[in-house]
Amino acid sequence: MTEEKKPEERKKRRTATEAASKIGPMVKAAIGGTVQAREEGKPLAYSFICCCYDEIIRAMDVIPVWTENYAGVCGAKRDAQRFLERAEAENFSRSLCTYALCGLGFDAWREELGEMPPESPWGGQARPDMMLGSGQMLCDPRNKWYQAAQQYMPDVPVYDVGLPWPPYEDDYDYREVQDYYVKYIVAELKGLVQFLEKHTGRKMDWDHLSELVDLTDRTWNLIWETYELRRAVPSVMGTGDAMNTMVPMVFMMATQEAYDFYQELNDELKHKIANKEGEIPDEKYRLIWGGGLPSWFALSDFNYFNSKGAVFPVEVTYRMIEATYNFDMDLSKVSDPLEHIAWRWVKFWTYWYDRARQRPGSHPDVERLIKYIEDYKIDGIVMHEAFSCRSWHVGLIWQLNMLKKVYKDIPSLILESDIVDISSYNEADTKARIDAFIDTLEAVKSR
Amino acid sequence: MPEKAVVKGLAAAERLYQDYGVRARELKKQGQKILGYLCAFVPLEIVTAAGFMPFRIKGDVNEPITKADTEMETIVCPLVRSCFDMALKGNYDFLEGIVIPHACDSICRTYDVWKYTLNLPYAHFINMPHTTGDSSLDFYRDILNTFRTSLGRFAGKEISDQELARAVELHNRQRAKVRELYELRKASPPLISGEEVARVLIAAISIPVAESIELLGDVIEEVGQRGSTPAPKKARIMVIGAQVDSIAFIKLIEDSGAWVVADDLCPGAREFMSSVDLTADPIEGIAERYLRKVKCGRTYREMKGNYEEDLEDRFGHMRQMIDDFKVDGVVLYIYKYCDPFGFEVPQIKSYIEAKGTPVLYLEDEYSMSTIGRLRTRVQAFLEMLG
Repeated sequence: MTEEKKPEERKKRRTATEAASKIGPMVKAAIGGTVQAREEGKPLAYSFICCCYDEIIRAMDVIPVWTENYAGVCGAKRDAQRFLERAEAENFSRSLCTYALCGLGFDAWREELGEMPPESPWGGQARPDMMLGSGQMLCDPRNKWYQAAQQYMPDVPVYDVGLPWPPYEDDYDYREVQDYYVKYIVAELKGLVQFLEKHTGRKMDWDHLSELVDLTDRTWNLIWETYELRRAVPSVMGTGDAMNTMVPMVFMMATQEAYDFYQELNDELKHKIANKEGEIPDEKYRLIWGGGLPSWFALSDFNYFNSKGAVFPVEVTYRMIEATYNFDMDLSKVSDPLEHIAWRWVKFWTYWYDRARQRPGSHPDVERLIKYIEDYKIDGIVMHEAFSCRSWHVGLIWQLNMLKKVYKDIPSLILESDIVDISSYNEADTKARIDAFIDTLEAVKSR
Repeated sequence: MPEKAVVKGLAAAERLYQDYGVRARELKKQGQKILGYLCAFVPLEIVTAAGFMPFRIKGDVNEPITKADTEMETIVCPLVRSCFDMALKGNYDFLEGIVIPHACDSICRTYDVWKYTLNLPYAHFINMPHTTGDSSLDFYRDILNTFRTSLGRFAGKEISDQELARAVELHNRQRAKVRELYELRKASPPLISGEEVARVLIAAISIPVAESIELLGDVIEEVGQRGSTPAPKKARIMVIGAQVDSIAFIKLIEDSGAWVVADDLCPGAREFMSSVDLTADPIEGIAERYLRKVKCGRTYREMKGNYEEDLEDRFGHMRQMIDDFKVDGVVLYIYKYCDPFGFEVPQIKSYIEAKGTPVLYLEDEYSMSTIGRLRTRVQAFLEMLG
């Protein structure tokens, strides 16, 4: 039976920072913690990252079960195929988001057995008491996945939070519409609080929520300052590590643990900079990971880049924060916690709009790349097109074309595979493409 | 010289279908400004009220996608890629602008690609919410008013409530005509084939709404005057899917010995069965219709009641159609990379089968190259239906 296939585990990726090496055990403990919490009868919610509700669920003492994270773990452990195949057997297309397919396959199997599927990675994904989806300007699975999961868990209620942000348009400034966006998001978040109160029997502690909102602002700013340290030459921390250090950012936001983690990372990077400790001894090419989620089963490809003298001091992926003090408003003056969260959300997504307006024909996504290319002294750009995810992997080709048009021609590489589905990955082909890209970088440098 | 015969009804639909955009090109020469749009979620009433002709951008299953691949990833829904490919190849060079709604990831995430690559004088993104609660409806009204202001600015005029009300009435008349057309499918055998209906509806989305009302009226009259009833076939089929803008798949089913008598498709029942209520502020009725009445997988309908009641709320209209049109079997025809419908497949399938109607689920790639494989599956399904 396909469901009994054993995974082919891979050796661990080599990290440059101490902080990144701590992430694996932290994730394992967090996942184990949700299984334990289930046994103790604590309320659990299936949750998505970057949905504005971190502070709210933490303030309500609801324990998030990050379903994207668990799928990523299955992918990283090369043990996702049996869950993907189960989802396919349930009539879900293999072209859909493989995070979702992995989760749905797992849910179908767990619910059928009444217990975790055999040898589930890290103890399995706990059954939730509720599921918190969202409707955004990206990621259909965020409002379809949990709805689909209800066929296996019809008793588990779903709340879908509407979380739009103003699009970048030529004929009006987003400030003309931002008030009604914020008003809507606040209403949706209020609905979420009511939903959680109803299903947990608890009341929101608004003062505690305000404290967590403040903690989140401080954590955002600390992350921004820490990641800006990576401008240093030689590079002290690469994207490979950032795919670890994103964990507290997206899975532990609004916790003191997350803040402390980044403080430690900040200290570590400053120490490395002071001692000129680069992530590799002979840095030749500085690259940006310009888009796309990584193949979680092939993170050691970053080590392969390193072996060729290439480093990634910056990435757009999972840099889901900006310094709140750089916004065009004083966020600290918004005392209502839900309004504060809503404004932070809108200001995050519109952060690059003004910059784009200053360069004719440009676009915020392209401006962000240009800023990073200049600030981090970048020689080339690498992206990843994951076949199953339209949220983050559509528009990459266009961005590169735009970059060339409004800025300059810069060597680029788009890798093709997936986030979870290892059957889409060809290691030899990937390495051959990286080799060819390195040759191009060398040729450009030699001109 | 003999007077040129006026082509009407089904023959006119055939001409408009075969040379898609022919009428738009004619009108463009006469000074009509034309706005292209994707999907059923662009509020056409606002476009019409502003004085533009709304024109549905469609793909072409017979045309290999080539140019689009230089700007758009192949992981985008093949229908959207084909639409974009057709636009890049100059098929829609009569457009003054494009309006793209927040429909699905494949449409939403390619808005900038469309906007910057085509570089038309006007582009607008309708940021429609995914959820349908009261706060979403309030927000959507604001979104529609932003569009109204933006398009009015482009048109050089303010779009008045009266103009909007007239446009609502006009589009409602078109929808009523389509419902009338669908009534002809209830007979056994149906008075009009599925292929003919598909051709007429595809033609209708390429011409001004007033002309489409006339076209639909002519077709209804023509079909009513047919002398003989068509031969009986072995099954009555309903097709459910996203945008099916070619007759090829419907024809395949009918060539295999069944009638296609009902659908939940675009263009089709999904976008023509519900009308806009005439409200004091026309935007109210428009918002209500597009957000709550058009039932599509892209919209998350909040749970009301238990799980079974939720399924009834989401898919009950499909069951109703199965009953009303005496459907023997359902073909769930879904494109690869279609997130909104892809996630619903197991639930739709089990919901309909639980009501006693067999379902064939087919995943396709929006290309004639797959037609042989599809035919085999359809024929086997029809055999099973007996």
